[in-house]
Amino acid sequence: MKKRYLTGIVMLTAAMLGACSGQKTTTETSKVDTTEVNTESEKASTETPGGVIEIEFWHALENQYEATLNKVVDEFNKTHTDISVKPVYVGAYAALNEAIVASNAAGTGLPGVAMANIPYVAGYGSSNLCEDLGPYIERDGFEIDDFGEGLVKAAKYGDTQVALPFLVSTEVVFYNKDMASELGVEIPEKWDDMPAFLEKASVPGERYGMAIPGWNTWYYEPFFINNGVKMVTDENTTDFASEKGIQVVNTMKDWCDAGYTYLAVGEDAASEMRQKFLNGETLSVIYTSSLYNTMVETCPFEVGMTWLPSGDTKIQELGGNVLFIPAKNSQEVKDASWEFLSYLMGKDVNMIWASESGYLPTRKSVQDTEEGKEFLESKPAFQVIFDNLDLIDPGIQRSDWSQITAILKNYVEEIIEEDLDVEDSLKEMEAEINEILSDS
Amino acid sequence: MKEFNKNADENKRLNPRMISGLKDFACTLPALVFLGIFTYYPIMELFRISFTNWNLLNDTYEYVGFKNWIWLFNGSGTKHLLNSLKVTFLYSLGELSITIIGGMIFALIFNRMTKGFSTMRAIVFVPKYVAMSSAAVIYLWILNTDSGILNYILSLFGVGPVDWLGDRDTALLSVLLLTGWRAVGYGMMVYLSAMLGISQDYYEAAALDGANKVQIFFKITLPMLSPTTLFLFVTTFISSMKVFQSVDILTKGGPYRSTEVFVYKIYQYAMVDFRMDRASVIAIFFFILLLIVTALTMKISSGNVTYDS
Repeated sequence: MKKRYLTGIVMLTAAMLGACSGQKTTTETSKVDTTEVNTESEKASTETPGGVIEIEFWHALENQYEATLNKVVDEFNKTHTDISVKPVYVGAYAALNEAIVASNAAGTGLPGVAMANIPYVAGYGSSNLCEDLGPYIERDGFEIDDFGEGLVKAAKYGDTQVALPFLVSTEVVFYNKDMASELGVEIPEKWDDMPAFLEKASVPGERYGMAIPGWNTWYYEPFFINNGVKMVTDENTTDFASEKGIQVVNTMKDWCDAGYTYLAVGEDAASEMRQKFLNGETLSVIYTSSLYNTMVETCPFEVGMTWLPSGDTKIQELGGNVLFIPAKNSQEVKDASWEFLSYLMGKDVNMIWASESGYLPTRKSVQDTEEGKEFLESKPAFQVIFDNLDLIDPGIQRSDWSQITAILKNYVEEIIEEDLDVEDSLKEMEAEINEILSDS
Repeated sequence: MKEFNKNADENKRLNPRMISGLKDFACTLPALVFLGIFTYYPIMELFRISFTNWNLLNDTYEYVGFKNWIWLFNGSGTKHLLNSLKVTFLYSLGELSITIIGGMIFALIFNRMTKGFSTMRAIVFVPKYVAMSSAAVIYLWILNTDSGILNYILSLFGVGPVDWLGDRDTALLSVLLLTGWRAVGYGMMVYLSAMLGISQDYYEAAALDGANKVQIFFKITLPMLSPTTLFLFVTTFISSMKVFQSVDILTKGGPYRSTEVFVYKIYQYAMVDFRMDRASVIAIFFFILLLIVTALTMKISSGNVTYDS
């Protein structure tokens, strides 16, 4: 009896040791590989006994896009009997980013295809998280040249095509056309004309001239860029606390203090800002072009869409997402995933998205042809974007950029909401950002 | 020959004890292995990672010496460290006050063994068993500036609206409101069971001496509850220092870092910035801090605790 008892304990201990000894880390060299067991991940993507490869598609598309997404995925599943795709909503871009990085580090549960907000591309690329799509593009003769140059660049890390642009957008100003004509105002084209516009369009305490999203710096980064601020200089430092940078934040703060504009921050910032626009509490909002359909469908007035007021230049940044294939999956899964990815990148699927949402057509063959004309006839507001496509920049592509924008967001928010000294705060922020930049 | 026999006898006498000791050790082995792998090994790894530049995005990293420690104590990390220290201690102070003072008040009120009081005790205690995530989501609605019921009630008295979660002066208080709602019942139950253990002889003697209720509370009940208070103090203090979920759901460390407690900051570095190196140094600092504070608490309070002999 005692013998059996002791044998049981030994077996239990051995089983525990065995269960926990799956991974090994080399510590002898100064450079350490954390995934020596570079497993073909225990995937969310598997092959069933019937020979059908099941892959998951992790995305961040919310309810309003569900019908379009299901339609597109169902069509793929119908036409591909050997591959079955299951779309999985993981959460917003940040949650999706967290999930994909955690799965990659663990080497388990990776999807076949995943979506990423454009700023994450550099980080994923530098860490070899994404499969190099170059060989697949070459093998299948995929028409990569049909995509705009900026779009292709946004999905590259160095010279490697680590992703492909899927649903892209840019910053725009949505405005209440009825109210604007009633007040006799137009959204100014130049930053310098903003004060006159805001004075006319606002009634302090009752109505703002323009609402600025403060929950994501992407929306107001063009203010810095077009007023001569180098967010990252050639010397790998930031210019936010330069005279020009201080001037931009000072101006934004003055507008907010005067009740002309409001910086939308906090837990429900986006929905509160939308509600204010709907209620006529703000004449215009800076937002993403991807929400064009939603804005037009929900607003009880005619919605106009225009370019952001520009400074010395009128550059805007590319928003939206790219799709990639995690590199740690098995080749079989990666091949099936590429099949799905290239289907999603097709002209037909792209046009479905462009017409059913506010995302932009990504292919030149659409933009410059009859199809493009038809698209513009159905959505004439997009003319302003088509006219300025060359001015849409992929933005800063650094693996530490999300850390930097988090700092920028907090400081700008605090300066405006808590009435901090602009110069002192920006100098403090600059030091913090420079430390991160120098660390990379 | 005699000597040899003597040693052999001694060995015979020792063997059963040794075997018994080995058996005991073998019995603890599964637990020891479990602890070793899931507790001590990760702690050792934490120390090692703190000397690297490991970013979770990368499969490789390099050893960078004390760079992360310098960042923490003499770089931009210091500011965040001090802020997290301040916020965490303020939060702990709040939770301790609610659990100990609130718990004792409720215990004194509900210290009657009738059915009615039993129901009321259950009502106060039940929130402890509501999942924090569910409770936090409900509190998000209660505390909403525009549509929350708390602001609606306050508006009936002409107060508000208050931006509970968006204002740096009220955000931490709002998180404490949720924690307190869950914790006060626990404090009450612990105190109630301790009160039942106090011998009635003390109260009878005090009554004979003509002591009033306040005197009885301060001279008998409170001192006799001091071991319980110490227990609640230590356990609540340690658990409150580790607060995360309520902050993550309600405020995400904001506004302006006013609710950025230690564990949330560690999570941010590790899972938002993917800086495992920086997360490690803060985690180690936090670990050592908890050890010191707990040891100090035990030492200071040990002289002031009354045990009923």
